Amino acid sequence: MATKLARRRSKAAAFGVFNPNHVVGGRVAGLIVAFWTAIALLLWIASPWKTLPTPPEVIHALHDLWWNDGLGPELFTTLKLIFHATLITTVLALGLAYLTVVPAMRPLVQAASKLRFLGITGLVFPLTLLTGGGYALKVALLTFGMASFFVTSMAETVLEIPRSEFDHMRVLGASELLIVWEVVVRGTLDRALEVLRQNVAIGWSMITMVEGISRAEGGIGALILNENKHFRLEDVYALLLVILLVGLGIDALVGLLRAVLCPHARLGKVRR
Amino acid sequence: MIPGASVGEVVLDVKEVGLTLEEHLILDGVTFQVKDRIREGITTGQVVALLGPSGVGKTRLLRIIAGLDAPDSGTVRGLQGEELPAGTVGVVFQDYPLLRHRTVESNLLLAGSIGGLSAARSEARTQELLKTFGMEDRAGFYPGQLSGGQKQRVAIAQQLVVPRRFLLLDEPFSGLDPAALEDVSKLICEVANLDEFNTVMIVTHDIRAAMAVSDTLYMLGRASKNGKHVPGAKIVGEYDLVDRGLAWQKGIMERPDFVALEHELRGLFRTL
Repeated sequence: MATKLARRRSKAAAFGVFNPNHVVGGRVAGLIVAFWTAIALLLWIASPWKTLPTPPEVIHALHDLWWNDGLGPELFTTLKLIFHATLITTVLALGLAYLTVVPAMRPLVQAASKLRFLGITGLVFPLTLLTGGGYALKVALLTFGMASFFVTSMAETVLEIPRSEFDHMRVLGASELLIVWEVVVRGTLDRALEVLRQNVAIGWSMITMVEGISRAEGGIGALILNENKHFRLEDVYALLLVILLVGLGIDALVGLLRAVLCPHARLGKVRR
Repeated sequence: MIPGASVGEVVLDVKEVGLTLEEHLILDGVTFQVKDRIREGITTGQVVALLGPSGVGKTRLLRIIAGLDAPDSGTVRGLQGEELPAGTVGVVFQDYPLLRHRTVESNLLLAGSIGGLSAARSEARTQELLKTFGMEDRAGFYPGQLSGGQKQRVAIAQQLVVPRRFLLLDEPFSGLDPAALEDVSKLICEVANLDEFNTVMIVTHDIRAAMAVSDTLYMLGRASKNGKHVPGAKIVGEYDLVDRGLAWQKGIMERPDFVALEHELRGLFRTL
């Protein structure tokens, strides 16, 4: 009887993954990811496209790039660049977003947010003149690309804080500055880290283009453009794989930072 | 009148309070006084209820009494005739806002720190209140981990870290099951009776629950003319339940005179 019941339950669980809004456990979720990864690998191996190198070719190219072509230092250059730009973006964007609590500063913040419609290509020339090119130009381009979106999201987050949260602090007798610190800064930290996570991804996806503008300092973006130029497809795909994996690593790192700094954030989440 | 009961000084004096919002008259000369309840040999604070149908302006009046909004006309004064700026009156809003990035204990400690208590005093008061409200085992929990009833208790406790004469509760019975309603009613009476000059004001549209805990009821409503409401709410009725012998007694809700008054108020409610 018990075996029958267990069998029926496992059958229901197996079909449940195809039901909309069905809740699955961690183990089942892992199995689903493994399934799709295996499908992707199979598609890659069985791909009929001649321009797509096989997994062994890509792994071999990766080995060569790492040991013979200095992929490690190039990756470090790129990581340094993204870290530098992210740091400036975070300080700048969060500072501007928090300033929305000051009515006199709101137009400035709104203007900064609207700059996201400018796009980067047209800004290369003025930013080159301003920064003198090279590393500073790349930092400026990445910062610009990330900050305008970051400001938009965070300013919206600050704007959406319910009035009751401010009033709650007021009836406790808190000063307006303390209210800004507790409600606006600390109260939205989890959201800020989530927005940071998305904007680092935006910055990381821009890295090839930005490093291609000024290749003198190298970096993984410059490397991929060089390999592209010489049509070394195995190397290109190997570098794309590195970009993807490092991007996922950075994403996981920011996620971990959020989980450590804001343990309360996961409490509001409902698994669907 | 219940034997041994009398009234003393005016602890809250609301005089001719008027409020207009976007050319709509909301409050029109709201006037009432809350007087100290005296019971021989017993420390007795008072529980008063501000009753009125939804949308009549109860919460607007609560915000004015709490010092969060300024009235267009009229005054709100305390025991010594002093004005009551934000921070002097405790308020527990309907959704029990707490700082979600702080634990229960940390929320209470912050209230102590804002109120100017020393760290040691704040810690002692926090532990005392956690015990009083039966939340010792939840001290390390975040608000997101608490049930609605637990949040309400913490929100009330937070307002009491620094001793306050007034505590306003906005719709404290909203969405409670009968057992929880009984618990909250008991808690309200306990909080009121912590000090002779304590006043807990409940702002609600729940007539029966308000009658069960209150010493005095104030009915806020609008007059009608030709079947239509005249804009601007005012106090249209004051009911001294102590005077009527309908307070401080067990099983009061089953008494015929309690039920009769409840019916009378319900009838009046429909016209407001």
